[in-house]
Amino acid sequence: MKIYGDLLFILYRESRKEKVVLTRVQLKINVPFDRLKKYITELVELGLIEDEISLKLTEKGKSYIREYEKVLDFMKRMGLTYQ
Amino acid sequence: MADLILILMEAVSAILCFILVRFMIKPYYTTREGRYLGLPLGFGFLGVSYIFMGLSLYFEAFLFVEDLKWLQLFTQAYAVAFLAATYFFSKKTAENKRLWWDLTYAALIFALIVSYLVVFEPPMFSLPSYKTVDEYFRIFNIVCLAYISIHTLKSHVSQPDPKTIWIPISYLMFGFAQYSSLIWSLDSSFSAYVGAHLLRLLGLSIFVFVVYQAFFGKRMTFLKGEIEAEEATA
Repeated sequence: MKIYGDLLFILYRESRKEKVVLTRVQLKINVPFDRLKKYITELVELGLIEDEISLKLTEKGKSYIREYEKVLDFMKRMGLTYQ
Repeated sequence: MADLILILMEAVSAILCFILVRFMIKPYYTTREGRYLGLPLGFGFLGVSYIFMGLSLYFEAFLFVEDLKWLQLFTQAYAVAFLAATYFFSKKTAENKRLWWDLTYAALIFALIVSYLVVFEPPMFSLPSYKTVDEYFRIFNIVCLAYISIHTLKSHVSQPDPKTIWIPISYLMFGFAQYSSLIWSLDSSFSAYVGAHLLRLLGLSIFVFVVYQAFFGKRMTFLKGEIEAEEATA
């Protein structure tokens, strides 16, 4: 699951700058390209990102990463490691 | 009067535990990883154990009070065992340990059912007295809580941050509360008994404070700031 959260973070940051370039995303997330494509398809199917002109987070995706970030912060406070 | 205050303390502790369960389940909901299920299960069992303790104080004159005390003993021990298992598995990587944490939680649930059957269902086995078992269970709880405290302290020391110090403190308070209960069990000191309750309440209050800070605190995290800035300009 962590990979999906990390991917959403990266996609959000990339989509704010300019058009999302998948090879740059791949470099940041460090997974093979075919697996990255598979993750992106799954996130589109879940309605967390949309693939129109460029990849970008939907409202559902944004609210998910807001919650995700809160939970990560909570886990850190609880002394739990998430890897 | 003293009993009423103690019953009230048990009730407040149980309520705080059930409030905490609501938030402790979030890491599991978000990550969908079974290893984090120990948190809500741990606090859930802890809440149930306080209910049993409160009931045993309220129905002091009834025959089934001994059963309630045994149940309290088991549920509390399972609570700390689940919490310790969560911390133990949290430092392992998800890929190769999934089977182990599933097996551990299954074994704990199985042990809970077996211990219930051994104590309450006929044929009854001749067990040591409640007081003796209570002392062994307290020692087990102290060991588990010491492990969790060290784990959380290590985590704090590896990435020092003022907001991560509260949880080791509250686990230490739980540990000292168990130690106080052990003292009370050995010498029937009323001050140790009350001290155990107060330390536990203080520990639970710290947990509630941490949960409030994490989920409702007015902090501006990096991502939240980015999203809100974007929404403001849109």
